[in-house]
This record gives sequence, C-alpha cells and structure tokens, in this order.
Amino acid sequence: MANLDSLFHGFAVALTLQHVALMMIGVLLGILVGVLPGLGAPNGVTLLLPLTYTMDPVGAIILLTSMYWGALFGGSTTSILFNIPGEPSSVATTFDGHPMAKQGRAIQALSFAFLSAGFGAMVGVIVTTLLSGWVTSFALQFSSPEFFAVYFLAFASFVGLSGAQASKTIVSILLGFAFATVGMDTISGSLRLTFGFDELLRGISFLIVVIGLFGIGELLLTMEEGLKFEGVKAKVSLAGVMETLVRMPRYWVALVRGSLIGVWMGITPGGPTAASFMSYGLAKRFSRRREHFGTGEPEGVIAPETADHGAGTAAMLPMLALGIPGSATAAVMMGGLMIWGLNPGPMLFIERPDFVWGLIASMYIGNVVAVVLVLATVPLFASILRIPFAIIGPLIVVVCFIGAWTVGASKPDLWIALIFGVIGYVFKKLDYPIAPLVLALVLGDKAEDAFRQSMLMSQGSLNIFFSNPLVGTITTLAVILLTWPLWMSLIRRAHLLRITQPKVVE
Amino acid sequence: MKNERALISRTSMEVATALVTGGVGAAVIWGAAEHDIGWGDSGPGSGYFPFRIGILIILASLTNLVLALRRRGFANEVFVTNAQMRSVLAFGLPILGFVVLSLLLGLYVAAILYLSFVMIFQGGYRPLFAIGLAFAVAVAMRLIFPIWFKVPLLTGPIEALLGLY
Repeated sequence: MANLDSLFHGFAVALTLQHVALMMIGVLLGILVGVLPGLGAPNGVTLLLPLTYTMDPVGAIILLTSMYWGALFGGSTTSILFNIPGEPSSVATTFDGHPMAKQGRAIQALSFAFLSAGFGAMVGVIVTTLLSGWVTSFALQFSSPEFFAVYFLAFASFVGLSGAQASKTIVSILLGFAFATVGMDTISGSLRLTFGFDELLRGISFLIVVIGLFGIGELLLTMEEGLKFEGVKAKVSLAGVMETLVRMPRYWVALVRGSLIGVWMGITPGGPTAASFMSYGLAKRFSRRREHFGTGEPEGVIAPETADHGAGTAAMLPMLALGIPGSATAAVMMGGLMIWGLNPGPMLFIERPDFVWGLIASMYIGNVVAVVLVLATVPLFASILRIPFAIIGPLIVVVCFIGAWTVGASKPDLWIALIFGVIGYVFKKLDYPIAPLVLALVLGDKAEDAFRQSMLMSQGSLNIFFSNPLVGTITTLAVILLTWPLWMSLIRRAHLLRITQPKVVE
Repeated sequence: MKNERALISRTSMEVATALVTGGVGAAVIWGAAEHDIGWGDSGPGSGYFPFRIGILIILASLTNLVLALRRRGFANEVFVTNAQMRSVLAFGLPILGFVVLSLLLGLYVAAILYLSFVMIFQGGYRPLFAIGLAFAVAVAMRLIFPIWFKVPLLTGPIEALLGLY
C-alpha cells in the first residue's frame, strides 16, 4: 500500500530528537492551556502560531498539533477533578467524571478518560492514514465549482448538524465571510469594506478574532459565573492506571461507537464538542446501566472522551486533503499552513509529502506521548488551578493581548481583539455558535475565489453547481443539510397535528 | 435577593443582537456598493460577493429578530443579572484600561500597571507582592518574546527614556 510506505517515511521525519522534543513541549503547553479556563485549544494554538513564523513547517505543525492533543487532554483533567470543563468539548466528561472523582475514584476516572481518549485519537489517525490517499485523489479532480460546493457542504453541515438555531448559525457564518472580505481584494486589488479606516487595510486577521472570541469572551463568561475551584485531590499511581487498563476492553461498545461518532463529526465539520455530546447521549440511551449515568458511570466518561479525541484528530484529514478544517482549532492550523507558505488541499500531498506524512506519523507518536505525559503531570497541573483566579485571570488577559500583538505587530489589532471579546461573550450567552464564524473567516477568501471563478466559467449561471454528477451530488447533499432543520420542524409539526387532531389546534 | 434582579432580559438582548448583526449587514452592503457589485470586465466585480453576503446577513438577522419576539420562553429568561454584570464589568473595565495603556505606554508598562492594580484592588493582595509579581511577568515577557523568540513587543516612551529596546 502506497499510504503505508509514505507513513513509514513520515515516521522517519517525525522521529528525530528535535521533533520529539517539540512534541513534548507542545503537549505540555497544550495541557496548560487546556487546564486554564479561558484558554482553550483554538486560542492556545493561535497564541503560539506567531512564534512559529520562522520555524520550519514540519516542526511547527508538530508543535501546534501536539499542543492541540495536550489541550484536549488538559480539558478533561479539570472536568474530572474540578467539575470545570477546561474546553467546551469536555463538558460532557464532567457529567460522570466529576461524580467518580468525588467518590474517591479520581484516578480511575482520569485513566478511563485518558486511555479512551487515546483510543479515540488512534482510530482518528488510522482513519486519516487510510482515507487520505483516497480523498486526495478524489479531490485532485476538483476545479472551482467542486471546491465551492465542498465549502458550501461544510457550512451547510454546520447549519444542519449543530443543535443551535439555524438562523443564528447562518448569521455567524455570514459574518465570518463578511469580515473576511475586509481589506485588499485578492483578485482586483481594490480595497473593500474599510470605510475609510486605514487600520483595516490589512483586513481582519482570524487569529485576532480567535483570541477575542475564544480568549477574552470566555474569560468574561467565566467571571460572570463567579468561578470557584473546589477540586478533588488525585494521586496517580501506576497500579491504578494498570487496573483501569485491564478493565477497558469491557467497554468496547462505547469505545467503538465513540470513535465512529468522533471520526464522522471530525471529518464533517461538526467538531469535537458536538461529537462528545452526541456520544454521551447515545451511550446513555443504549446502556443497560442507564439510570447510573450522571452518578459516576465509567461508560459516561469513556463515551464522550473517545468521541472528543476521535473528532479532534480526524479533523486534520479534511484540512490536509481538502483544505477544509473540521474544527475551530484545525481552522487556525490551516491558517498557519497558509502563513508558512503551504497550500492546504490535495496538492499538498504531492508537493510536500514529507510535511503531510511527517504530520500524520507525529499524530501517532504525539498521542501516545500525550497520554503518558498527561497521566504523569496530573498533580502538577491540578496545583496550577489552586492559584487564585485573581492572579490567573489577569495573567491570561495579558497573554491574550501579547498574542494579539505578536500576530502582526499592529496597534488596531488590540482593539479588534477586545471588540471580538465582547462579541464572543454576547454570542455565547445567546447560543450563537462561534466556531462557524472562525471557519468562514479562514475560508472566506478561498470560498469567494472559488465562487467567482465558477461564475466566470458559467457566465454567471448557478447551474454550474449541478453541471456534472460530482459537483451536483455535493451541492444536493449540501442543500439537504442546509434545509435539514426545516424538514425536521415540518415533520414534527405534521406529527403533532396527527396526535392532536381531535382537539382544536391553535 | 435584590442582587439577583435581572438587568437585561433575554428578549431585549436577542433583539438588540439581531439589530446589530442586521446593521453590520447593511454596512457590508453599503461598503460593497462602492465597488462593482455586478458583472465587470473580468467576471464578478469586487463588490459582487460581499453585496450578496450583506443581503443574506440582513435576511438571517430579520429571522432571528422575528423568532426572538415570537418565542415566549425568552420573555422570562434573564440575559444578565445586576450581580453578574457587576462582576463582568469589574473584570472587563480594567481590560479596557489595559488596552488603552498598552497603546500609549507599550505592553510592558501596561502589563505592570494592570496586573498590580487588579491584584491589589480586586484580589486584595499586599502591594509589595502584587507589584513584585507584575515586574516578574514583565521580565518574563522580555525574556520569552524579544530575546528567545525574536518577536519584539510593543514598547512605549518609558522604555525609550530608559534606553531599553
């Protein structure tokens, strides 16, 4: 198999001393941002990105992806020990993880979480390895209309699959596109939507937006909730971990189901958060121990964790092969790729196989490194959370604005970060999803280019999106997903009418 | 409790947000209209895409507006209570101050002032401890960014005066 061959080459790239060291640094930094409230994976990767501008791309992507894995693990630590999800995607882990910890089974809860997360991640990487060749050769046939259709599909699946009110998801996506058009138009060179402000000439950087939305906005929310850390102390012993490891196979159904959900939600941009909730919900529905869920059931930890990490790793596949990130963090990394001068998409596999396969191989090693490191450092990072928030909170603020400055050394960026902090706070409270906004901002220029190229090819007719079976199928699928909430509400209404027929329906 | 009184209701915030996003949509249309929104010599003009995005933003915002007004569940829901607003402002206003100070005096000085202020007046720490910690952070910033990673941070007049670049 060609993929396996390439993978071994990748291992040769990834397994150098320097790259393994970067992996460990990345994982540790990732656990740190995952543990700290207000700093999550997307934001952490954003803050680190400007420091990689001058690194070689392979090392840089290994550092950033390792940080992503570390952040996913760190988020679960706080969920279990403190009942505070360090990441949105580990909210579902609190349901059973924290009760387990309170019953004195913290070490089991943590081991279950990390081992199942590692399992989910492995499935995600294996799927990425197996499918990438196929997806790439498929995507090599794409021209502009197909690319636009795939972008459209990605955004439509946000509307169709996320639980949020469809019109709010749509506003979020469209605002992202609108912000992406600010500044220099790549085709005509004219300046758009700057409204006479010279500060906006360079456009609105998605990195600044992420720092605002995910960093400042999250901190404001945390403050409002009046955060209190009341943690459970955990001692990690090798025996405790081993004991849990032996019990893992008993939960194989939850593991397999969680991985499948995770991989699916990672490839279609549903994201890790949706995946973990969906996996928890399904595990609860089909479990024989349903009534124990929420009181410290191991399956309630395993299910969301497997899906969370499965989605996190699988999100790299569409990013690499299609240039469509499957999660907000993957979106930031894709932006990084473009900054390093790489062009995400099928050509990347041909032009830079060392990069792609080095990355994929590093995902295998990185996740193993992450499981070991996260288990070894639980006490260390738990003690960080015992530092009062009056110190940690302002420090995170300073770090966020330093990050905002390092992105482009531009003064207006500090204001933009602050404004997006307020937007993030309001949007989160009103259930406007913010990941689609970031994705739209990253993909905005590419989507617009693809759209304009397509319009040029067809002389302005939208029929081009149905002009061949390939693009037609993708577009149709996208339209179905886009209108999915509409169908569901129609079906529900019809159903209700049938039930309440004897009565007068208002 | 008096503190738990609702300051802003969910409905009013939903409506306000829908109006703001709609306003952004209008601004996008207005900005796009300065360019060619139709078919130029080389295909779609540079205003073509944003103009249509702007229209869609307004339509989706209108939908949100109507849904917010029609949804009865929102009427009793609270967007933010007095007490919550106070803690958000207590955290948020110093951040605003930090941004203004950063632009005037650079990130180092602003970080020292902001961290000392917040830790002394809000955290209730001893001034010596707070200021010491704030200076330690500034030193760490200097070591990590300009020295190790060769990424200079924003400096201000005070650094220039002291000859620190």
